Amino acid sequence: MSKLKLSGVAKSYGATVALSRGDLELEAGEVHVLIGSNGSGKSTLCKIVAGSVKPDSGEVLLDGNPVTVTGPQAAKALGIGIFYQELSLAGHRTVEENICLPDLPMRGPFIDRKALSQRAARYIALFDGVTGQGFSADATVDSLRADQRQLVEIMKALATEAPILIFDEPTSALDRSQVERFFEILRRLKENGRAMVFISHRMDEIFAIGDRVTVIRDGATVGTSRISEAKPAEVIHLMVGEQEDLVERQAPASAAQPSAGDAALTGKHLTGPGFADVSFQVAKGEILGFGGLHGQGQSAVLRAIFGASTVDSGEVLLGGERFTPKNPRQAITHGIAYVSGDRGRDGIIQGRPILENLTPVHFLRERLFLARPSALRAKAQPAMGSLRTKFGGFALPIGSLSGGNQQKVVIARWLIDRPDVLLLDDPTKGIDLSAKADLFSLIRELAAQGLGIVLYSSEDAELLVNADRILVFNGGRITRELTGTDRTRYNLYEAAYEAAA
Amino acid sequence: MTVDTASPAHRSGSIKRFFERFPFLPALIILIVLLVLNGIYQPRSVSMIGITSLVKTYLALMLLAVAQTYVVYAGDIDLSVGAILSLVNVVVITLMQQWGGGALPIFGAMAAGLAVGLACGVVNGIVVAAFRLQAIVATFATSIFFTGLALYVMPVAGTPAPTAFWRTYGGSLFQVPFVFYVVAVLAALLFALTRTRLVTHLLSVGDDAPAAFQTGLPVTAIRIKGYALCGLFSALAAFCVTGDTASGDPLVGGKMTLFSVAAAVLGGSALSGGFGTVVGSVVGALIIGLINSLVYFIGTPSEWQNLVQGLAILLALMIGVLVGRMARR
Ligand SMILES: Nc1ncnc2c1ncn2[C@@H]1O[C@H](COP(=O)(O)OP(=O)(O)OP(=O)(O)O)[C@@H](O)[C@H]1O
Ligand SMILES: [Mg+2]
Repeated sequence: MSKLKLSGVAKSYGATVALSRGDLELEAGEVHVLIGSNGSGKSTLCKIVAGSVKPDSGEVLLDGNPVTVTGPQAAKALGIGIFYQELSLAGHRTVEENICLPDLPMRGPFIDRKALSQRAARYIALFDGVTGQGFSADATVDSLRADQRQLVEIMKALATEAPILIFDEPTSALDRSQVERFFEILRRLKENGRAMVFISHRMDEIFAIGDRVTVIRDGATVGTSRISEAKPAEVIHLMVGEQEDLVERQAPASAAQPSAGDAALTGKHLTGPGFADVSFQVAKGEILGFGGLHGQGQSAVLRAIFGASTVDSGEVLLGGERFTPKNPRQAITHGIAYVSGDRGRDGIIQGRPILENLTPVHFLRERLFLARPSALRAKAQPAMGSLRTKFGGFALPIGSLSGGNQQKVVIARWLIDRPDVLLLDDPTKGIDLSAKADLFSLIRELAAQGLGIVLYSSEDAELLVNADRILVFNGGRITRELTGTDRTRYNLYEAAYEAAA
Repeated sequence: MTVDTASPAHRSGSIKRFFERFPFLPALIILIVLLVLNGIYQPRSVSMIGITSLVKTYLALMLLAVAQTYVVYAGDIDLSVGAILSLVNVVVITLMQQWGGGALPIFGAMAAGLAVGLACGVVNGIVVAAFRLQAIVATFATSIFFTGLALYVMPVAGTPAPTAFWRTYGGSLFQVPFVFYVVAVLAALLFALTRTRLVTHLLSVGDDAPAAFQTGLPVTAIRIKGYALCGLFSALAAFCVTGDTASGDPLVGGKMTLFSVAAAVLGGSALSGGFGTVVGSVVGALIIGLINSLVYFIGTPSEWQNLVQGLAILLALMIGVLVGRMARR
């Protein structure tokens, strides 16, 4: 008998069908992978199990007994814990408070601070050594990096000690060492008989940790198979249905030669908060990769060039001219584009329509004060189309999109007016495989049009396949440059772990 | 926007954390500066008698600011705190007058006053959290309603409070002014409340209400409890007003409402929720009180007093924000 069984679970939002027929059988002692493209309904299915979304129809069976999960509290009582893709953290509370928030230890009428610290410490200790700088039990969550916040959400889910644990893209911002540690923990939990759902868009992770995989396409479950019997190509085929084969399409990109043209962007001895003595040059038409473990200064450099944080010394040359933006506004008007993987913080304008989320850059660059929505829609449509964004209409709020489709909106905003320099700060976080392929062929096209592109990615495969040259960061400095045939996974790992180890 | 903390050069991390933990420090500095200024222009104002009278007059605003802070924690606002104060004031006075001025009737009337404050708070909470009306408009509407009730209970101002009541409030016990006992009890109460689950829950809801819901917190109940707490503290504030003015007035609290919001903000609380301290709000209320008396002491002509007072509050807000921002950098 299955620990948890969903049959024919469905959920619609107005005309949008988020989930039409969700089936899932989860056994105790397994890691069950759920895979599907952006907007296919994975998160919706998870939220239904966790009680934060009420299904329109369908049945949920727990240990063979039908149950109705009336809300997150009921789910907690039924022994279901969840990691939310968009996180469920209180930004001004500390790490330890967040970990214990679902069930604060009490002593009479007061919170038992000591018990709280002790309980939290147990889960923080699980990630000892991989939490990175600035992480501590009493740090506020707002002050943490994206990967650290994700770790807190993982600890919070683990702290529920629930027999059923659901992880909705828990690794999207984590680096390798963090993922490895997380997988060790999952394996141990598996031995203890926990039933776990795991969602990820990264093939290697799925095959590393999963026991079975259920594929979901356009809101309906299309099949379940044992991982040991499945091949990546088959899974992808199931996932995308009748579309063309994606594995083929990803390969050839890096064949392109770095054009020896003029410099689009040059950094000379840049030093600032989080990085020191960073020098690099991107030619027009080149895709320069920033690699290395998480938080080694890659994002910090990109943010500084975009004017979102300060440069203490050194200089930035934009197309040969000295230019140090004081704020993002200046950077944008000078043709610099920046896509952040942390869309919750830097990308989306929460609660506003999709169209408003697409056009702020257009307004600034064109110095628009008034505009007809129909004209704006006409400009936004091709940008959205080029990324195959799945959305119901421009007037819908951004929150109605799935995580990956939200990220596509954030990218599309920069495509309406062509920038000169494109800074990509882990841009594919949460984007599915087919859209990733679309995005990178688009980036290659943009490069061919003469843009200088800097790409930082937490996924090594992405860098190796797409960047013409890779600068490896370590402790805020560039420690290695990989060009031509040096761009191998081995070299990248080695350079990244060199000083960090 | 959060500054990237991945820096190898982790600058002034401890100062930053210090300010995060004590967000009312800028307000405290402003308070001390104002005390000094008051002392310079009117040396007697910083004497025991001067301070006692300051506390006596502004204890009500301090309590009202505390009341406001608990709803602000959750990202809500209560524009009816002044009206609740007025209603409790007239109810307490009317009951004391009907039941007589002995100890038992006085305590009975105060218990009734607390019940009224609690009821008003629960009504606000239900309207805002359960019916999901916009807090700013809904509590504005209930404030008119509560004022209407107050005017029904006591159509014209002027009914006096029993002598025992205001004598106690304005008097001394073992050479120590009574209001200082109140302040001590209040401090203990606030400290205890800070350690309750409710306050952490309120702050978490204020940080991100959908996240709190997903975490499994009973968000609606938490917000209602916040308003209930606010109603209770508004009633406590009403007792202080009653003790200070020694009479009933159905409109006494109206103008205090926005001062309570200002005090909370001066004290470092974020109106967007999730962040703040009640201590800060108390300090904020004192800042407003000191500004008022300073405006008087420097001899501002009466027709200019509002203007100067307004500018001074703006200045205090600005300094608070700037100091806080610099420290957190
Ligand atoms: N609150 C909502 N209102 C309207 N539509 C919604 C809402 N939540 C989800 N949807 C829609 O339901 C569909 C499924 O979304 P869901 O978040 O489950 O996708 P997903 O499989 O998790 O995708 P991703 O990989 O991008 O996270 C999407 O098309 C999305 O636009
Ligand atoms: Mg999702």
